[in-house]
Parts: sequence; C-alpha cells; structure tokens
Amino acid sequence: MTAFWKLGNWMGKAMPPSGGVDCCTVMQQLYEYIDGELDEQTVEQIRQHLEKCKRCMPRYDFESAFLRFVEDQAHVSAPPELRRKIFASLLEEDSEN
Amino acid sequence: MGQNDSPMRKEFENEALVHLDTLFNVALRLCGNASDAEDLVQDTVTKAYRAWDKYEPGTNCRAWLVTIMRNTFINQFRRDSRRPSAVQFDTVEDVSVFESVQDKDPEGNFFHEFVDDEVKQAIQDLPEEFRIPVVLSDVEGMSYAEIAEILDLPVGTVKSRLFRGRRRLQQRLYEYALEMGYIR
Repeated sequence: MTAFWKLGNWMGKAMPPSGGVDCCTVMQQLYEYIDGELDEQTVEQIRQHLEKCKRCMPRYDFESAFLRFVEDQAHVSAPPELRRKIFASLLEEDSEN
Repeated sequence: MGQNDSPMRKEFENEALVHLDTLFNVALRLCGNASDAEDLVQDTVTKAYRAWDKYEPGTNCRAWLVTIMRNTFINQFRRDSRRPSAVQFDTVEDVSVFESVQDKDPEGNFFHEFVDDEVKQAIQDLPEEFRIPVVLSDVEGMSYAEIAEILDLPVGTVKSRLFRGRRRLQQRLYEYALEMGYIR
C-alpha cells in the first residue's frame, strides 16, 4: 500500500498540468498574475490552472490576502500641516518670480 | 486661494499635488521618520514646481514626481546612496510563509492581528532595495514598468526585488506573529 505522504508527494510532482501550465510555472508567476502584469493568454492559462488545482489555489488565496493586507495597513496620509506648508511655499515661489 | 493666483500654480496643484499622499508615503519609507520625510516632500515639491515647464502634460506625473524625490533623496539626504547596499542572499525568501501556516491558518488570518505600527515597522526594516519597490507596488499600486522607470532598473530586477521583498516581509511578520502569540 502506498503511504499517504508518498501519494501526496506524487500528486504534487506528477499531477497533470491544468490550463496548459504546471504548478511550478504558476508559482513562479503568481505575483505577476496577482499584480496584473501578464498577457491575456497567460492570465487565462493560470486562471484555469488555479480553478482546478487544489495545491495552487490555497497558495494564491494566501498571497492575495497578504498583499491586500499590506495595502490596507501601510498607507499613510500626508499630514495637514505639511499640506499647508507646501501651499505656502508655492505662494512664496510665485512671489519671488 | 491667494490673491495672486497664477495659472501655473493652479495647474500644478491639480496635476501634481494630488499625489502628495504618495510622495509622503514614499518619503517616509526612504527616510524612516516623519520629520525628514516632510523635509524631503517639501524639497521635492519645490523642485518639481520650479521644473514644471519640463513636465510633459499627459505623461505620468506621479512617476515624474517620485523620480524627482528619489534623486533628491540620493543627492541631499544620503550622499553615499549610489553605492547599492549589499544584498544578502538567503534561501528563506524562496519559501512562502504559506508552507509554515498551511495546516493552522491557510487563509493568513493572523495578519489581521497586527496593529498598524508593527506592520509599518516591518516594512521599514526591509533593506531599501526591497522596501521601495514593495511600497511603490503594494502601497501605491504602481506597475512594474513605472517602478522600473522611477528606480532606473530593468523590469526583471524590479520583479525579483518585489518577490524577495514580499517574501522577507511575510517572513518577518510571521516570526513576529509567533513571538506575540498571534499564531501558534
């Protein structure tokens, strides 16, 4: 009987490619896929692969969640005082010219 | 508006100053503190205003401004920055944190346990060559081509720095989450 972990390993390596690309290629291009940096054909291939691949889909979900989280957390607005200073300095520039 | 309202200033306000948040964000990541960041934004805006006749309307104003900021930072705030800091190669970047959390938290819910400052600090702790691409892409939503233009790097380099920067950030947050008990 094949051990379960061996089966898992076999599936990871030898699973027939879905969407015309294999898991390795999808993983390599995952960020480009999420960032919208790939051409239409590649996007479609990866989308089809992800739909069917139980191995890649959770990884895609995780990386997407991570990037959304960074975007939400890291944004800082310019302080109002800085805006005021900048408008004042532009007026000053104008008056000097 | 002041009494001497110039058309050029109006145009500059409409086209360039709408990107003030972006400039402040990038400045903050470059300088590491709000006071220097404010100075850098102010210097950048003044330079951009003086050079406004060189800006081609309809081109990417945000990228133009961030390029001016980058050059200002290099020239004024950190004169030795032309020498790129040593990039350490470590294998940890190749592995997504997913591999460590897939059994306990595959959806990455632990990310939501962090408070603002912890995330900002983790970004700040990234080496600059990774930090700036990550901020431009993930915080400001810029394309690889825009980032490549601003940082004067090939698109392939931007891609690999983003990959490695994100993985480092992920790893750092994961380690911190373990320390703080956000994840077990």
